[in-house]
Amino acid sequence: MNAIEVTDLSKRYDQLEAVREVSFEVAAGEVFCLLGPNGAGKTTITEILEGYRSRSAGEVTVLGLDPAAGARELRERVGIVLQSCGVQDGLTVGELLEMYGRYHRQRRSADELIELVELEAKRDTRAAQLSGGQRRRLDLALALVGDPDLVFLDEPTTGFDPQARRHAWATIRALCGLGKTIFLTTHFMDEAQTLADRVAVMRAGQIIALGAPDELGGRDARPVEIRFELPDGWTLDELPEVAARQRSAEGRRVLIRTDQAVRATAQITAWALDHDVELAQFSVSQPTLEDVYLELTGEREPGERKQTEAARS
Amino acid sequence: MTTAPATLRRDLGLASWQALYEQRAFWRNRARAFFAFLMPIMFLVIFASIFGKQTIATRHGLPYNDFFVPGILAYGIIATTFFNIAVSTAILRDQGVLKRMQGTPLPRWSYVAGRIASSAITTLMMTALVLVIARLGYGVHVRGATLAGFIVALVLGSACFTTLGIGIVRFIDNADAAPAVLNVAILPLTFISGVWFSTDNQPAWLRHVAEVFPVHALADGLQYAFNPHTTGAGINGGDVLTLAIWLFVGVVLMIRFLRQPLGER
Repeated sequence: MNAIEVTDLSKRYDQLEAVREVSFEVAAGEVFCLLGPNGAGKTTITEILEGYRSRSAGEVTVLGLDPAAGARELRERVGIVLQSCGVQDGLTVGELLEMYGRYHRQRRSADELIELVELEAKRDTRAAQLSGGQRRRLDLALALVGDPDLVFLDEPTTGFDPQARRHAWATIRALCGLGKTIFLTTHFMDEAQTLADRVAVMRAGQIIALGAPDELGGRDARPVEIRFELPDGWTLDELPEVAARQRSAEGRRVLIRTDQAVRATAQITAWALDHDVELAQFSVSQPTLEDVYLELTGEREPGERKQTEAARS
Repeated sequence: MTTAPATLRRDLGLASWQALYEQRAFWRNRARAFFAFLMPIMFLVIFASIFGKQTIATRHGLPYNDFFVPGILAYGIIATTFFNIAVSTAILRDQGVLKRMQGTPLPRWSYVAGRIASSAITTLMMTALVLVIARLGYGVHVRGATLAGFIVALVLGSACFTTLGIGIVRFIDNADAAPAVLNVAILPLTFISGVWFSTDNQPAWLRHVAEVFPVHALADGLQYAFNPHTTGAGINGGDVLTLAIWLFVGVVLMIRFLRQPLGER
């Protein structure tokens, strides 16, 4: 049985159509990710699935139940990390896990959860004194306290520094190892790439692409990109002919998009050796999920890259 | 499958646990604990010490403290129920804690019952402390004959202001504004309702305004039970009726607040 089934889901707020006839399903044990810019409708869908919001049209089942009915049975089996959500500030990490644990018939021990999210040193610290990252880890522990079958993570690493994010990813992957179904939303490409079995890309309330991160938008079939600096004293026309879909230069930066990566690379490097020139910043790369994503969401043309990108990665 | 009585027992147990956690959180927040619990005690000591020797001519020479102790007790009950629960609920709502609670299997009624029980515990502790200080410090106490009237006013008044406290959160846009809204609602009423001083000489129209509201009913009901000249069980029918009506209003407002979905505001 699928953990989540959504058919033709729509949500309207007065004039705004936040979600338009969205359909997808999430298999049990799968990590499913909604990826999209802010305002694309990710949180609306997530909160409908969590039972916080009503839907305008369509069918939704979560673990076989309608979340709008607000059944306690469903809340026993679902763990929720909301996007930003406070906690009783005066209580300590240990007390909070104990308190929330009592609400569930089946629960995991506070010790085990504290170890999982690595808050051992903060067990007796009040929630008010935790840092943002620690607070987020506490959120995760609290979502897992009822040993849920399905976990919703709404932008779980927003505001994390890079190290904390990698940490969180490791924790989430550990959850997959326990056989949990995970429903994740994010606007970070690398997060979707690292964690998700399948990604649904959203734009303006609709899913515009759905698939495994490696195959999304036909990514595996896309041309490989070869880049380098044109050596001094040479022009683009003097380079050898290669079978390319695109060959262009922006200043001295050359971009070649080709379906025959090995052959083209060999031709270009052989030419460089023959002429005894160095090709600065030479690279061969598959389009990243980010490239595909930005193309799909209409934020960038194929092959175009931001100047800052090399510096960023 | 568990049976209905077993589920009910479990949910009552959860409400009791919740009351303990709420108590713990309440006392750890020093500022709030002072405001709700110690401030009425402070006012008691200050006013009773300054005006203790005076009497009230309009009430057959009733010593001021026999009048003031139940008055400040009414204020204390309003602080530990109405103020405390409204401010903390507005904060919990704004911080998203209520939303988080809604996502757990804890039934909403268990959570609310736990919070109400916690506020009742605080109220009882404050009441006990006021009674002890009044007795030992100022020789003021409730006679056994009018104890019933005292208990009726205390219980009915607490219930009334607790439900109103939860119900009013719907009209508080954000937690920062909560103390201001609540003070505007309550402070003027305390002055015309005989909490701090006798209002027997105030114009009739102002007295009638005061008598519509539960602040007067609670203060007057307690003062009636404390008054050594009162005969009978000390139950003031008019005050009880007013409190009962406001309790009904409070319950309606509370239910409307609790039914409101927290996902889309």
